[in-house]
Amino acid sequence: MTTALFEARGVTKRFGGLTALHQVDFVLDRGIASIIGPNGAGKTTLFNIFTGLYAADEGGVAFQGRPLLGLRPDQITALGVCRTFQNIRLFANMTALENVLVGMHARIGLRVWDVLARAPRFHQTEAALQARAVALLERVGLRGDPNAVARNLPYGDQRRLEIARALAAGPALLLLDEPTAGMTQGEAGELMGLLRALVADLGLALILIEHNMRVVMEVSDRVTVLDHGEKIAEGPPREVQADPRVIEAYLGTAARQRRPRAAR
Amino acid sequence: MDVPLLIGIFPQVLLDGLILGFMYALIALGYTMVYGVLEFINFAHSEIFIVGAFVGVEILLGLKGAGWLESLPWPLVLLLLLVAAMTVSGLLAVTVERVAYRPLRSAPRLIPLISAIGVSFFLQDLIRLVESVWRNAFNLVYPTLDALNHRFELTETLDVSVKSLVVIVAALAMLWVLHMLVNRTKIGTAVRAVAEDQAAASLMGIDVNRIISLTFLIGGAMGGAAGVLFGVQYGLINPYSGFIPGLKAFTAAVLGGIGNIPGAMVGGIVLGLLEAFAASYLGLLTGGAFGAEYKDIFAFSVLILILVFRPKGLLGEIVRERA
Amino acid sequence: MTRAALAIGLIAASAWAVATFPRSVLVFLLFQGSLLHAYLAPIPRWLRVALLAAALLVLMPVIGAYNGYYLEVATQVGIFVALALGLNIVVGLAGLLDLGYVAFFAVGAYSWAIFGSPHANLIFGGGFPLAAGWFWAFLVVGLLVAAGAGVLLGLPVLRLRGDYLAIVTLGFGEVIRVLANNLDKPINITNGPKGITPISRPPVPFDVSYAEAFYFLVLAIVGVVILVNRRLEDSHVGRAWEAIREDELAAQAMGVPLVRSKLLAFACGASFAGVMGVVFSAKQVFINPESFTFLESIGVLAMVILGGMGSIPGAVVGATVVTVLNLQVLKGLSLWLNELKNAGVTVFGLSLADLPTQLEPAKYERMIFGMILVLMMIFRPQGIFPVRRRARELAGKS
Repeated sequence: MTTALFEARGVTKRFGGLTALHQVDFVLDRGIASIIGPNGAGKTTLFNIFTGLYAADEGGVAFQGRPLLGLRPDQITALGVCRTFQNIRLFANMTALENVLVGMHARIGLRVWDVLARAPRFHQTEAALQARAVALLERVGLRGDPNAVARNLPYGDQRRLEIARALAAGPALLLLDEPTAGMTQGEAGELMGLLRALVADLGLALILIEHNMRVVMEVSDRVTVLDHGEKIAEGPPREVQADPRVIEAYLGTAARQRRPRAAR
Repeated sequence: MDVPLLIGIFPQVLLDGLILGFMYALIALGYTMVYGVLEFINFAHSEIFIVGAFVGVEILLGLKGAGWLESLPWPLVLLLLLVAAMTVSGLLAVTVERVAYRPLRSAPRLIPLISAIGVSFFLQDLIRLVESVWRNAFNLVYPTLDALNHRFELTETLDVSVKSLVVIVAALAMLWVLHMLVNRTKIGTAVRAVAEDQAAASLMGIDVNRIISLTFLIGGAMGGAAGVLFGVQYGLINPYSGFIPGLKAFTAAVLGGIGNIPGAMVGGIVLGLLEAFAASYLGLLTGGAFGAEYKDIFAFSVLILILVFRPKGLLGEIVRERA
Repeated sequence: MTRAALAIGLIAASAWAVATFPRSVLVFLLFQGSLLHAYLAPIPRWLRVALLAAALLVLMPVIGAYNGYYLEVATQVGIFVALALGLNIVVGLAGLLDLGYVAFFAVGAYSWAIFGSPHANLIFGGGFPLAAGWFWAFLVVGLLVAAGAGVLLGLPVLRLRGDYLAIVTLGFGEVIRVLANNLDKPINITNGPKGITPISRPPVPFDVSYAEAFYFLVLAIVGVVILVNRRLEDSHVGRAWEAIREDELAAQAMGVPLVRSKLLAFACGASFAGVMGVVFSAKQVFINPESFTFLESIGVLAMVILGGMGSIPGAVVGATVVTVLNLQVLKGLSLWLNELKNAGVTVFGLSLADLPTQLEPAKYERMIFGMILVLMMIFRPQGIFPVRRRARELAGKS
């Protein structure tokens, strides 16, 4: 049996007296998986554990068979797992191009000596990086000038730039934290088209945290629902949507009682 | 190793350490209160402290020159010195905050810190300038008050001077007053509220700017009082004397837990004791190879070790919640 | 055309003026100003390079042949330019506030001072000083030792948040100073407050005077330092440093190894100081702990802040302005004041001779540094020559 691309088992995280995550399992091999749940369910905490920002108290995470726990975020990025953030964390005073170039840091094989001596290898590498960065910006559909400073870009462009930056290291798995936050339905739809194209063209696997249900239903191959740190449902979008436990988590017990029928 | 000697000097070293420690505690209060409220190291606090010492010496020299020094009861003189120094230092601290820190409150964290360093340097030479013009000298000696220098013999090897007792009593008194102020008064509650969450405190109707000024006032006053006690205890001051004690007092504040007022006291005393023991025993233990001159390195090493291994300090830091 | 004529004319005129009025501080400042003008003026690049090369490589040495003092000032400026460029990497590019930078300067200086003088005989019994030619090898030794010290300091402290990092580096600088002052027993490593002398100077070709030789050496090293700075800045290394300065967490998530990058910044900055330390000790022939105090660290910081954090021309201008302020302006003020006192001049009926003797403008360096730091932070935190990014960064925050 081949190991899955990404496997998290029994992930538990406590902050003092609060249990943010309790025995969460999450496995992904390909395609687009979404994680949803009410605020405070632990979704971003889970991402932070996956990417090495937090250490899990119990459980294990593995990527391509390699255990990730204990690795630093930059090491995990180098292995092929990249992410975006819930609140945009671009390098605000660097240009769009420079933001993407920073994202490539893990893949640059130059030594300090190459940089100082300006060996031909340096110039070749830099030229290749620049070309690749421009291509990435085009692929994500950045409408602004690549040399524009990140903080001056319109909101939609900033979100796209974040994705381009996350793609810069050539990941096999991309974690996007609320990528359509603050967007109109039209913009969100466009972004979803982009994500589907990325998965198709680059063979990426994608994990999304999302609150926009329409997006989730349209684009996901599978949906996982977290509530109060526990996984309460998982499956194809339609199933999860009708799951009474999910409804209860979002809307309260009264809502569930109003729909006495079981999931179709 | 002369063990009887080592044991014999122990009580004296302990006492010296306590005196030093209380002094550091008083200075540390200024650092810790400001850090608790603004998450900012008031680098200029070491000069606020030494200004207090200069206020003290000027008053004493003035009294001496007018011939009144001998006739006035020494507690009155001391009280006068403390009140004057606390007032001047407190007001200076408030002024510095208004001029050099408030405009930078929304800037990235290192900007006000650099400004504080600038203020510190500026004040050092400002004191030098003022004293050069006023008195044509800036290395000043505290006139002796015989009553204060009188020494009690507690045991064969241990004696304590009146002025040492005065330092300890004064420091304890001020720490107690501060404790009451911060924990039992409405204004103290306001300070603690601002320390925890400025935005929320402001929404509750607290004038945050006023509270911040008040914090600087109190912290500066404590520093000024410590300056007088420093001058009385050690006798010789110059405009640059504040730098090292200030750095050590900051170490004490971090040692106890930055933002934590009882922590500043604990940290101060612990550091004072550590330093006194290092100064006295290091030379004896190493046969003179490394002596009292290394005591400063000792304090800096404590600083580095604490920040690297236990930055929360002994009693835990009290700083704002991060958003 | 007129611009070019103006640039050339300014330099020529001020150079002539310096030759004619060799004791005027003001005239020398004009000469330096003319160089700055040539750097900034919208003249063709070839002309700019030619003018600056002519001024620095020909005019300055010639002036120096007539007036050793100016050459000395120019050399000192060069030393501090290199230090400012080194600190610039740490503070300006990577955003790490190092308040103990002078420690690396000291380490480099003492490394040559100990082995390039008879002092090492006290430690090893004999065989020292090394032949003067060893100086060139020690440029590399000083670089490596200082870089090593940078890494040693950096390893434990780079995880600290910004203000704590600043205080710890301050502490480290003080530790080095106290060690320099006290490591004369049990083994006499530094000779304590007495300092070390005489320190050998490298052999000099063609009968050139030492003053001129050191001037050119410093100029050459500054050139290399600028080159290294620019190459680092314009590469993935420089971009990583910027990213760390902008948002450390995001940088790490994007694959930038934080500790390694910060250590590299520390090591690079320290190595420049180390090299200049070696040059400094050979030039001065005598060093003692007095040259390596907190005052010097803050002085270099003031230079970087004044010029503009992260900006190479800024560091050059900042170092020049501050060094000139201290060495020439303040000192000149002192001398001028003394002359006035001696001449019995009165102001508003008060004789200047009555001014307190302790009042000596030359000693007020701290006041100058302090004012620079505070005023720059409040009114122009991006510096005189801001890097375009820094200007945006600081404009955005207000």
